[in-house]
Amino acid sequence: MKQPSKEIWISAQDLRNDPEVLEAAHREFPEESLLETLSGDGAMERVESSRRDFLKFLGFSLGAATVAASCEIPVKKAIPYVIKPDAIVPGVATYYASAWVDGGDVVPVLVKTREGRPIKVEGNALAPLTRGGTNARSQASVLSLYDTNRLQDAGRVQEGKVAYASWDELDKEVGQALAAATSIRLVSRTVASPTARAAIQAFVNARPGAAWIQYDPVSASGLLDAQEMCFGKRVLPSYHFDKAKVIVSFGADFLGTWISPVEYARDYAAGRRITDTANPAMSRHYQVESYMSLTGSNADHRILIKPSEQGAAIATLYNAIARARGLAAITAPSVNDRAAQALSRVAEELLAANGMALVVSDANNPAEQALIARMNEALGAHDTTITFSDYSLQRQGSDRAMKSLVDDMQSGKVDALVVLDGNPVFDAAFGKSFAEGMQKVKTRVSCSLTLDETAALCQWVAPASHGLESWGDAQPKADQVYLMQPTIAPLFKTRQWEESLLVWVGSDQWDRTAEQPYYEFLKKYWQEQLFPAQSKFASFTAFWESSLHDGLLALSAAGAAPTCQMDVTTLAGQISKPGTGEELICFETVNMGAGQFAGNPWLQEMPDPVTRCVWGNYLFVPIGWDGGNAYTMFKGLQDGDKVLLTANGIEREVTIVHQFGLAEGTYALALGYGREVVGTTGLQVGTDTRGWTHISGEGYSRSFVSEVQVSGKSGRDKEFACVQHHHTMGVKGQEKNGETINVDEKTVATIGEGYQGSLVDRSIIFQGTLEEVKGLETRIREKRTAFQSLNEKTLYPDYSDIYQLGHHWGMHIDLSACIGCGACTVACMAENNVPVVGKKEVFRHHEMTWLRIDRYFYGDLENPNVVYQPMLCQHCDNAPCENVCPVSATNHSSEGLNQMAYNRCIGTRYCANNCPYKVRRFNWLDYTKADIFPVNEPRLGQEELPFGADNLTRMVLNPDVTVRSRGVMEKCSFCVQRIQEGKLTAKKEGRPLRDGDVKSACMTACPTGAITFGDLNDKEGRLHSELESPLVYQVLEEVNTRPSVNYRAKVLNRHASLES
Amino acid sequence: MHTPIAPVREPLIEGGKTYHDISEDLCGPTEKAPSLSWIIAFMVSGAVMTFGFFSIAWTIWFGIGSWNLNRTIGWGYDITNFVWWIGIGHAGTLISAILLLFRQKWRTGVNRAAEAMTIFAVMCAGLFPAIHTGRPWFDFFMFPYPNTRGPLWVNFNSPLLWDIFAISTYFTVSLLFWYTGLVPDFATVRDRASGFRKKMYNLLSFGWTGSAKHWQRWESLSLILAGLATPLVLSVHTIVSFDFATSVIPGWHTTIFPPYFVAGAIFSGFAMVQTLMLITRKLLKLEQYITINHIESMNKVILLTGTIVGVAYLTELFIAWYSGYIYEQFAFFNRAFGIYWWSYFGMMACNVLSPQIFWFKKIRRSIFWTFLMSIFVNIGMWFERFVIIATTLARDYLPSSWSYYTPTWVEIGIYVGSIGLFFTLYLLFTRVAPVVAIAEVKHILKTAGDQYIGSKAKGGHNKEETVQESAH
Repeated sequence: MKQPSKEIWISAQDLRNDPEVLEAAHREFPEESLLETLSGDGAMERVESSRRDFLKFLGFSLGAATVAASCEIPVKKAIPYVIKPDAIVPGVATYYASAWVDGGDVVPVLVKTREGRPIKVEGNALAPLTRGGTNARSQASVLSLYDTNRLQDAGRVQEGKVAYASWDELDKEVGQALAAATSIRLVSRTVASPTARAAIQAFVNARPGAAWIQYDPVSASGLLDAQEMCFGKRVLPSYHFDKAKVIVSFGADFLGTWISPVEYARDYAAGRRITDTANPAMSRHYQVESYMSLTGSNADHRILIKPSEQGAAIATLYNAIARARGLAAITAPSVNDRAAQALSRVAEELLAANGMALVVSDANNPAEQALIARMNEALGAHDTTITFSDYSLQRQGSDRAMKSLVDDMQSGKVDALVVLDGNPVFDAAFGKSFAEGMQKVKTRVSCSLTLDETAALCQWVAPASHGLESWGDAQPKADQVYLMQPTIAPLFKTRQWEESLLVWVGSDQWDRTAEQPYYEFLKKYWQEQLFPAQSKFASFTAFWESSLHDGLLALSAAGAAPTCQMDVTTLAGQISKPGTGEELICFETVNMGAGQFAGNPWLQEMPDPVTRCVWGNYLFVPIGWDGGNAYTMFKGLQDGDKVLLTANGIEREVTIVHQFGLAEGTYALALGYGREVVGTTGLQVGTDTRGWTHISGEGYSRSFVSEVQVSGKSGRDKEFACVQHHHTMGVKGQEKNGETINVDEKTVATIGEGYQGSLVDRSIIFQGTLEEVKGLETRIREKRTAFQSLNEKTLYPDYSDIYQLGHHWGMHIDLSACIGCGACTVACMAENNVPVVGKKEVFRHHEMTWLRIDRYFYGDLENPNVVYQPMLCQHCDNAPCENVCPVSATNHSSEGLNQMAYNRCIGTRYCANNCPYKVRRFNWLDYTKADIFPVNEPRLGQEELPFGADNLTRMVLNPDVTVRSRGVMEKCSFCVQRIQEGKLTAKKEGRPLRDGDVKSACMTACPTGAITFGDLNDKEGRLHSELESPLVYQVLEEVNTRPSVNYRAKVLNRHASLES
Repeated sequence: MHTPIAPVREPLIEGGKTYHDISEDLCGPTEKAPSLSWIIAFMVSGAVMTFGFFSIAWTIWFGIGSWNLNRTIGWGYDITNFVWWIGIGHAGTLISAILLLFRQKWRTGVNRAAEAMTIFAVMCAGLFPAIHTGRPWFDFFMFPYPNTRGPLWVNFNSPLLWDIFAISTYFTVSLLFWYTGLVPDFATVRDRASGFRKKMYNLLSFGWTGSAKHWQRWESLSLILAGLATPLVLSVHTIVSFDFATSVIPGWHTTIFPPYFVAGAIFSGFAMVQTLMLITRKLLKLEQYITINHIESMNKVILLTGTIVGVAYLTELFIAWYSGYIYEQFAFFNRAFGIYWWSYFGMMACNVLSPQIFWFKKIRRSIFWTFLMSIFVNIGMWFERFVIIATTLARDYLPSSWSYYTPTWVEIGIYVGSIGLFFTLYLLFTRVAPVVAIAEVKHILKTAGDQYIGSKAKGGHNKEETVQESAH
């Protein structure tokens, strides 16, 4: 054995100085390389590629990857705030009190902004006008802000197109032209803003020969003139529908469009809410009209007259009341016999109401309106249902002033015309002559937001800013002023028209150096005019800050009602005479107004509450029953067929829709469609009504026309878009043997009697009359008891004890309070990024609305009643959709929410099939441009980009709600983002969640308070108290889905003697 | 050797076939150049299949919105076709498994083609659930595979998931069964082939030598697979029917669905077998193997199952009335008298009334009537699924959402394309494998050949010897 050579050794071999170990010690890596190990014996020797090859491959791969990666990939920049603005916390919404103003329509709102972008409006609950209610139009206003068709700078109009110039150039040239003009006319719709009126006054004062004319597209001129004749002041009184026990409306769509619908709807619903079913009481509403209006559809009784008979009908009622009150009767033409009979009963009721009566009318005829005013006074309505001290300023337009303007223009007396607000060429009944007159005016300027029919005929556009970018105020009532504040800097180079006026006139009240000159002007006006009118605040700063914070200023108004100064019987000659032949009435809808909203896709796609049609106006034609298995269709036509309609010598093609409740010989068509110059969305959607609406002999605009001819089928609307194709739930008619049957159930079948009871016995709608509300209560109780006892007989374990822990979200919807106005549907679209799909897709039943309002006709076939049922995900605790999803994309939360995991959804649509309420919505195509396949978006109108695909429109998206891609299912989430926000806020404040902390978007939008959202486990909450009513039921309870949405039965106050 | 001969039974193999004749006749089509009629048929079905794939590509590219389904009717042609094809895929396994267990000799003439048809039909059926989803690239979410998303598991409550298991099991077992039967026949083809074909068929026949041990194992495996497949015949359509039966939609939510669907599936499967067999025996000249007796037997099954289906239809109506549940009552009222009344009466006429003519022996044994009826039944069974799916959804609980459905060209394209796919595969099958099971037919020759039984039987040892000689 060798002598050990070292003192330290690591192995026996080492100690022995084994040559292998010695060799290994010289090598850096003791084992053979990994590559050699893996490739086996000598494999490495056979590898042909060398290190150089490896570098070649590496170089090629890198190069290829670089080339591939350099293909165009959109770069999206997210830039953090370098200096964070004080008011903005990313991810936290900020609300500003403001007001939505459209002509004379005012809705006080809170504007929700996220990272400086206004994305949603909510009603301002402090506002005495609306108490937090909104309408569809105000809800959709955020989308108009981000309209790609808005004018972006001052410009010249050349041949109907805008060539952008600069404001300096415009101010110089227009300023000079106006300075040189001797006769300037400013035209606007009703201006509700006192400050704007001051600005106009400043202009008019500085320019002798200047005059300001207000008009209203749907004119209340006759009503205003009648008020002036009777009471000496050309303002509208305030109507209080909540105080009236009997309401009679001659054609006034006061819940939808007439004067101040949000205010009236709230009052109306308050007067009809049954709080105590033991002693039920509610107002009774008669609607005298010729087509089914939104208001008429809510009425207890509708009395059908032809449009031209309205004057006669008013006179008939007046005479009945005059006789009873000892007033002189008026000689007037007579109305049809059925209406005359009904009106005599109505008169009895009005007289018996003891002052709690209210008669209103939309007649644009001062004589007829004077009769109404006199009638109301005779009924003792003054100071109960009608007050004068808090008069309304919501309509100030004058048809007579407009007529003289048109005459002046046509005779060349006007040398400068500035259209401040409105589109008189399209929306005024004077449109055609207005357009002709404009040709003779030397200087023509429009302050429109978008290029419209009027702006296209001007030389200059001085685009105004959107209301959400503007300072301003609004005084809808004498005792209420609302402040408007901008919630975003103007997106484009636009300027409010008030500002433009002051610039052009070079007013000394105009501080050119100020950062926001109009803000200074507004503040000064408030300081000088409004601050002294109040007594609450001592300092102006406190007054201003409080008003700005609350968005409103309440003034006091008191005073006794005036008495009628004139003898209305002298007006007999002015009452319109019933026309001959068939008639057409043109009416305003809740979504389209007089056409000013044609460019707003949300409003275009909001179903009309009564027809449930979208993207167009459709001629109402009558529907009857042939006594067999079919309805009698008008001239054998189908819904969606086109006909030629001739009236006033104008022939146009119009699509028809069959409609219940039309007066005999009457057709009806919505205003505001068929726009010719309106960006792209609303372009030529529907049929224009200009020329059919016309000027009556007395100089008032008139929305109906006699001697109408309707041809047979002339074509077919291949994309007839209607979201509901079965419209009835038990309309009754008499068979030949005199037996009353459900006609709709018979017509659903192809032969035989149909299955009688198949619709009315479904537990979808419960309705009854006030007289038999006890019976209704019993019916609901018996049915529910039966359903519940069946539902308890289950093999499955009951999890209800789990849902009693923590929160359990639920909803209550009062069908008696729901008027069908559709504010909630638009609010839902805005809140939840619900895509707009366009006409063709709606035609294919691909609409995406999470919340729809089902409308059913019931009762008398010829003159049915209507029930509106908001239908949304019922968040069933035993949800049929959940157990069928193979991938668990839809599941139940511990708080009772039925939730969707969009990322998980593969789109089998099984859940939608299995949903008894049919509330699930599938992304059939790429409606949001969120798809990987770029070719695949449905187009709206003629826009180059699909709606919502541009960065401007996308600013309206709610960042808290996922935008869904093609191929996934979606549905109402109960505004889960709001629930989370409410819970987080409560947590941060270290308190339990309180009732009312979380309100769904539909609930906040509702003008009548029909929707209550809340925690079912909160026994103190408002939801819980609502659910205690014996009229509450659940839709399809027998299916045992255990929905979280509860409905309260519809109750009408029908008059037994008027049942026919 | 004397096997029991039942002279009352008609012979199942005609034409005095020897064993060699059988090999010649049945291997022949795989060895000869295709006939002109085969080429034309193949081109037509291939073109139709291509159009079908084009329609599928269109659907995936543009989305399900290229179909006319809507918010109310979430399934239309897609699931109708799926259930229809699955139904068609039932006859094969029934013939091979259940009739094997019942020792029904007549099955040997048709089982091979029927099993092939089953497999192709299940393939066509499987296509539809895969492409009907909104995001087919995420279809793999439906499989319970380990994942890093939680792990996020599938929903075992969902009948759609059960479908996946049921159909994949059925497909696997059917394929194995079919292939097992093919092994000795591939060996026969191999023995007659040379060169590359020989190599391929050698591979396909797994080195079959025809030893007694091979035969014994083969028999055992066939029996085991038959035993496994038998419950599947009942289970697959039962589970498919759960897609509807477990829902809450009136007209779907019925306990009668499982037996009713199974009977309907066998009914439509046999009809499709008839359609195919009548064409195949004519084109490939197999009249002596697939005889009028076979056709008559299958017509008897069609008559029986058609009547069961008819009873089910009437039971549904009775139960709807008897339940006192208005939604159910209305659903069935609507099927018969509502907007889709034509599809209901089409179904009743094709499925219940017309098969009753098979009570007459003359018609049962008529090629013309059999072919006509097989087409009728196929149409009727398609209508049945359409009635169940589309008409039911079109008129469900809330009248406000009622709608109507007509397919787009894309949906029709996929449907027609699936038929093209089916026939393309079937035509290829006739070129590759013997369409009648050679081994099994040879097995029954002495008990069912017309030279041994029936009125024209010659009998005697001389004949038998000749036969045995020729067998080599």
